[in-house]
Amino acid sequence: MDQPRRDEGTAAHEMVHLARLMQFADSTLPVGAFAFSNGLESALQTQVVSNPASLLEYVTLMTRQAARMDGIALLHAHRAAVAGDFAAIVMADHELACRRVGEEQQQMTLRMGKKFAELALKISDFPDLGRWLAAIRAEETPGCLAVGQAIAFAQLGADEGEAFVVHQYGIASMILSAALRLMRIDHLDTQRILFTVLKRVQEDYQSIRGLSLEEMSTFAPVFDVLVAHHTTTHVRLFMN
Amino acid sequence: MGLHEQLQRLDEARELRGFQTEPAQMRAAGPGKIGELRLGFALRDGRSVLHDLYRVAPLLVQRALYWDEAMPELPICAIISVGGGILQGDRYKIDIAVEEGACALVNTQSANRVHQMDANYASQHQTVRLESGAYLEYLPDFTIPYRNSRFINQTDIVLAPDATLLYGEMMMTGRKHHHAEERFGFDLLSMAVSVRRPDGRRIFAEKLLIEKADPAIDFAAVMKGYDAFASILCLTPPENAARIRSRCETNFPPGGGRAISGVSGLPNDAGLMLRVVGVESYDVRAEVRRFWQIVREEVKGRSLPPEFIWR
Repeated sequence: MDQPRRDEGTAAHEMVHLARLMQFADSTLPVGAFAFSNGLESALQTQVVSNPASLLEYVTLMTRQAARMDGIALLHAHRAAVAGDFAAIVMADHELACRRVGEEQQQMTLRMGKKFAELALKISDFPDLGRWLAAIRAEETPGCLAVGQAIAFAQLGADEGEAFVVHQYGIASMILSAALRLMRIDHLDTQRILFTVLKRVQEDYQSIRGLSLEEMSTFAPVFDVLVAHHTTTHVRLFMN
Repeated sequence: MGLHEQLQRLDEARELRGFQTEPAQMRAAGPGKIGELRLGFALRDGRSVLHDLYRVAPLLVQRALYWDEAMPELPICAIISVGGGILQGDRYKIDIAVEEGACALVNTQSANRVHQMDANYASQHQTVRLESGAYLEYLPDFTIPYRNSRFINQTDIVLAPDATLLYGEMMMTGRKHHHAEERFGFDLLSMAVSVRRPDGRRIFAEKLLIEKADPAIDFAAVMKGYDAFASILCLTPPENAARIRSRCETNFPPGGGRAISGVSGLPNDAGLMLRVVGVESYDVRAEVRRFWQIVREEVKGRSLPPEFIWR
């Protein structure tokens, strides 16, 4: 049976929407993710990660942590962007940045945040992102990646769940692409791990969607020592 | 006695929603269940003294003593809990202020035991205020959360840019030799800290949250194989932080060890964070003490006295 024309139009709009989300979720998006391992380099040196099973556990933990920290800030920034409340965007940005322990962890989120905004503004017109980038340059806001993503995705018409998924995907794919360069593992194993980890994304979203910025939390003491470990490591490929 | 506003705000925390039943014993937050402590240190005739003391049982502080042979000018107060530990329905409020140029050490008499609970929870709110040039070491002994206990702690710190605060918590995961289900057997441990400048600007915040049956607890990057940890903040100006940092080596041999530790920089030039994970409390304590000594030497030019043999 022929579909009404209205649905064809809606479908076309959704196709562009999905394609652009895929573009921003792509692990080759040039925002500098290739330079960061999110602690994996030290995790391998200390044998916290040593094989595909322990890598799966590590990526699971990192995405879980990212949800409970950056993910909460991302949802708040997204809601603020949808509401046109720039002050609330800046608030989410500050609250996330002041919880980031370790210079290299700070550098990861801030460098990628700024690069993300610069990239997005090169390829299209994102007024809120332009204002946010100007505020970063004026040192009025820190510029965390999750906040930049929230602003861009809000403007692309993505709902907060979609923005959250793209963010979580980016964390997992960043660590897994570092794993390919750091440890004995092949592309098939990393894809299997990615597929497994993504199963958690809805559960993570449900567990944080109602939380306030004050409720950003963490608990991974060994990871915290890994963060410190990397800053004092002499041989390294990655910036964190 | 009414409950303090900040303690009331803690009562509304999301993670406490499942623990609102009244104890069969004394009423939660009722008379006798709210411990209060206010300590104020200031310079008097060039000497740091405890000039302000207010206390309500079960919290107790007696006079400040000057027993630190490596830093004889340091007034030292030990917080004593006459209740024998933290019980369900207890509410604690601790306020410590160190005025301009003064120094102090506040510790506790012994490990802080959070007893088993079958109703309600225990909460603690702390404020720590350091004025210009002040120096405070606030190092409570280990907290030991017994199984099924629920404990929430919020610490609000306000410090001047040239003040130094060494503050942290050392935690056991339970009485691991007592019962098979004691390790991470507590229902809730929620520890939040917030650091602001006197102008209200927030420079650091952190919340450690562990809820029952958290599957990540035994992940290798969390606490697998370890039963104690410490999270120690050194809030100090950047030049102090750089000197301290240069003397702190990360201790994380491949495959781990009795204790692993490392120092990371805090955002907004707030200072440093030491994290330690260890097998036993004494493994963690040794790492904390090493850091403590470096901080004191770099900030005050004084060292630590030899460790007491009974600690």
